Amino acid sequence: MRKAAVLGALLIIGAMLLFAIGKMPAMNSRNAPDKTHVIPRYLEKGEEEGGAKNIVTGVILNYRGYDTMGEVTVIFSALCAVVALLDREKRGLSRSSPDASGVRSSVIVRTVVRFAFPVIVFFAVAYMMLHGEGSPGGGFQGGAILGASVIVFTLAFGLPESTRRMPLKVRIPLESTAIVGFLAMGIIGLAYGVNFLTYLLPGVHGAMAQTVRNLMMTVIEVGIGIGGGVIFISIVFAMMREDKYELQPDVPQP
Amino acid sequence: MNWALNLLLLLFLVTTAAVAIRLRDLLAVAIVFSAYSLMMAILWTQLRAPDLALTEAAVGAGVTTVLFVLTIFKTTRRED
Repeated sequence: MRKAAVLGALLIIGAMLLFAIGKMPAMNSRNAPDKTHVIPRYLEKGEEEGGAKNIVTGVILNYRGYDTMGEVTVIFSALCAVVALLDREKRGLSRSSPDASGVRSSVIVRTVVRFAFPVIVFFAVAYMMLHGEGSPGGGFQGGAILGASVIVFTLAFGLPESTRRMPLKVRIPLESTAIVGFLAMGIIGLAYGVNFLTYLLPGVHGAMAQTVRNLMMTVIEVGIGIGGGVIFISIVFAMMREDKYELQPDVPQP
Repeated sequence: MNWALNLLLLLFLVTTAAVAIRLRDLLAVAIVFSAYSLMMAILWTQLRAPDLALTEAAVGAGVTTVLFVLTIFKTTRRED
């Protein structure tokens, strides 16, 4: 009886969904609403209105600034909750108990990492975050690469060395840069008497306006990148720290 | 030529997805999943979405794999 009811409900929902799909414009149809209104507008005016050569960045930060800000807030709240659940490295504990995974990696790994690390960081900061408005990439991607570079460093030189170079009290303020940077750039618009998250400020004209707009968008990108990267580093540090005596790969269990 | 490459990538994508489901060694699954993300990143560039390709490569192949491997080390490697 119950199975029949579930099956019936599924069939009804499936029929409704299929009916709705049938009413949608055909794939790649030139008459679909997104092809007639949204895409031409973005392609023709995106660079001028969005303020970025990379239209994707213009859409994310300008046309859909509110969405992106809400998204950033949700993601970073979730990441903060993960860090809280993992019970972040205790302040005193990291100093008093030496890490068990202090096995030195081979000299080849350490040398390669020593050469690759600055290049990866440069790529993440310069090409992804700072140049995100002109080329593919942006804050999120840059943050992920930045975090990954520190993970590579940790794998080669061990957790104590990593936490010594990026101590907790440096990471805590950096973790909040994403939301703080976004909000601060939004409030600058309010202070000038225009809408929240407006990058074109009244009283600033010509080439200067474009420079100011690019600068504000870059601040947001860099904030998202550093915040995302550092919070990822914190999560990984917390995961590596806890149960430190079981960090070696375990034998397959029967 | 381009469609051949795309077909190859898609076949590899389906294969890695199937292998990831079938394998019982979770560490191997994490690595296979990383390969899946890499193929997906190349496909995104084929679809002319370089922003998405960068995200897929950085987050899908990099960050997620690190988190999976750390989680496996903290739990268990075999799927029962």
